[in-house]
Amino acid sequence: MKKGVPLFITFISGFILIVALFIPHEPFGSLQERFNDWYIIVSGFTLILGIDSLLAYHYRKIKRKEKEAPYSFALLLTFIITLLWGIYSGIKHGNPFAPTSTFLRYFYTYVFVPLQATMFSLLAFFIASAAYRAFRARGLNATLLLISAGIVMLGRVPKGEDFSPYFIAVTFILIAIVCILEALPRISIYERVLFFGLAIISLILIFPIGIFLKTKLPLLSDWIMNVPQLGAKRGLFIGISLGAIAMALRIILGIERTYLK
Amino acid sequence: MIDIIFLWIAAGLTLAIFSFLYKDNPFYKFAEHIYVGSAASFWFLYLWFFDVEPKILGPFKNVFKTYGFWKMWLHFTPEQWILFIPIFLSICMLLRFIPPVAWLSRWAIAFTVGMAAGLGVTGSLQGYIVPQIHATILPLTFKDLFSSFNNLIIIVATISTLFYFFFSKEHKGALGIFSRIGITFIMIAFGASFGYTIMARVSLLIGRIHFLLFEWLSSLF
Amino acid sequence: MKEFFEKISKIDRRIIYLLVFISITIPLLIKKGFEFEALPEVKNAYEFIEKLPTGSRVLISIDYDAASMPELQPLLEVMLVHLFKKDLKVIMMGHWPLGLPLGQIALEKIAKEMKKEYGRDYVFLGYRPGIAAVMLNMGKEIRMVFDVDYKGTPIDSLPLMKNVHNYNDIALLIGFEAGAVGDYWVQFAQARYGQKIILTSTAVVAPDLYPYFQAKQIEGLIGGLRGAADYENLLKRRGFAYSGMTAQTIIHVIILIFIIIGNIGFIALRRIK
Repeated sequence: MKKGVPLFITFISGFILIVALFIPHEPFGSLQERFNDWYIIVSGFTLILGIDSLLAYHYRKIKRKEKEAPYSFALLLTFIITLLWGIYSGIKHGNPFAPTSTFLRYFYTYVFVPLQATMFSLLAFFIASAAYRAFRARGLNATLLLISAGIVMLGRVPKGEDFSPYFIAVTFILIAIVCILEALPRISIYERVLFFGLAIISLILIFPIGIFLKTKLPLLSDWIMNVPQLGAKRGLFIGISLGAIAMALRIILGIERTYLK
Repeated sequence: MIDIIFLWIAAGLTLAIFSFLYKDNPFYKFAEHIYVGSAASFWFLYLWFFDVEPKILGPFKNVFKTYGFWKMWLHFTPEQWILFIPIFLSICMLLRFIPPVAWLSRWAIAFTVGMAAGLGVTGSLQGYIVPQIHATILPLTFKDLFSSFNNLIIIVATISTLFYFFFSKEHKGALGIFSRIGITFIMIAFGASFGYTIMARVSLLIGRIHFLLFEWLSSLF
Repeated sequence: MKEFFEKISKIDRRIIYLLVFISITIPLLIKKGFEFEALPEVKNAYEFIEKLPTGSRVLISIDYDAASMPELQPLLEVMLVHLFKKDLKVIMMGHWPLGLPLGQIALEKIAKEMKKEYGRDYVFLGYRPGIAAVMLNMGKEIRMVFDVDYKGTPIDSLPLMKNVHNYNDIALLIGFEAGAVGDYWVQFAQARYGQKIILTSTAVVAPDLYPYFQAKQIEGLIGGLRGAADYENLLKRRGFAYSGMTAQTIIHVIILIFIIIGNIGFIALRRIK
């Protein structure tokens, strides 16, 4: 009862859906629809799993008068107020999210939305700081990532191409400086010539590459998105899908049972 | 008037969350807990108004109105009786909270897991793998060199990326070369994704600053 | 010299935060917009909608929440204007409960502006749990999933829904995506039932959707604030997205400058060592 029944339920529900893909006729077609309908009803209840432990956790904090208790109290109070307000608006307007309800007009628009939107907008600051800190040209792969990100970042915003020659100029001048610094301590004349040559080449390259990017950067970012990026993403997601299918089959066949713990 | 008060509440909460940038502080923590608390109750409201009411109670509404609670059972159609299967499973899900019968919740979880697995297999097979492989079979001709070149890159990128994730054999020889090409394309793709992610995060901030400037502050003048 | 490079490779994060804040605020206040051409994948979407016959029904799915509101909300509004202007009928639903009201707010706002009537020109179905199961059953009969609208009104009593039974009666599906629901729409509504789809998404999700566009599984792809700004330009109704693009350009330049400064410090310190 405790293990056999769940394994059987999992097998039947998964099996019917797969069979219905290949044989959409009776009885599989209508069984699939029925199962889907049940799934719609049952999976709604997974929404509230975990909320009990959240509330219990904060209730305990208040009871033990911990340092963070006032915040926990705020959380529980908001939970209750929101719920009551929502139920009240729901009874009055048929649904708490009806356009006429005060719940939607005030609570959702002026409390919930600003909180959620601002919480996630903090990521803008964090990603800017992380890009500065972690985005280092450590090797060939990291450099490729950097170049591709730079092209897309400038190519996907209006007038980004106008800024690109300056970035190219700075980058190539830096490369030239590194080459010259590399050349100076060398004793062999060939190596010196080689590095000085590289410095000069990178300085000369500024002009054609700068002009190319100034005129073609949006097209170049289009190309990156639609050709190499697309191919790699396709390969990645085919790989991920194959992995997910293997996992799903293991679950349906009862080999993978961790969800029963 | 109420709108103005709530506008100030919205601005206050926005600034409270921004205050985290300086350092963690009581204002931020307060706002964060309000967010979590309200989100939690939202899920209950959704469960009730978009699941229980229309899908569980809805089908019994008419029969209940005509016959009342005690007599309606005599007039259920077979369809209505069948509905008791998902209702039973939904109740099982909630039994998780009652330790002696908590094991019954596994039945409900088993059903959702089995369904999710079945849907996952059919969806990714029919909707991703087959059409995407089909779309990778691209023409390579000498007539249109540029698009043939692009097609070739798409083909090589797709296959080499797939090979990179082929772990059951050591990446040596031809496989090694191919998987190294794969990692190159993956880096380009991750770079593009990273660029787009920066774009997305910045847009969110633009939205909030726009709110502070043009909805809140401009209401003062 | 060494101290200088150490300094520029360890700028305090609060200075970066401040610069980020300033470089968004100033362009927003100056309100100077740049001119730019719409991306081809956005144009595709726009033209597809342009070609839809009057009275066609369009299903809109709200699969985002306030966490990505600035990217998708302006786009939703401008697309609704386009749909109503073309006298197309809008049926709205969603898979992200927390964001669902955002869709409704935009729908009511634009409908009021364009003088459209609930039940005749637009309908809001609401939400049902179960994502893929919802999509599959809607392909058979929408009433299996939504027999009532969000207020509990039977959909048979709404004139717009009278002859709408499944995807065959819906000319286009537009998904507003902040996560994986867009993939499900393609995999279940397009692959199984041949539904025409346009996906609009946050910039985070957009790169992952390009394979669908190339495989012609979707008719158009509109990504992020840039996509929204493109759409505003195409419809000649500039709003938040367009005005935000200048700030977007400036901040990208600032972030790239920081990346270069960080790299100068990094390379110099490595050489000094």
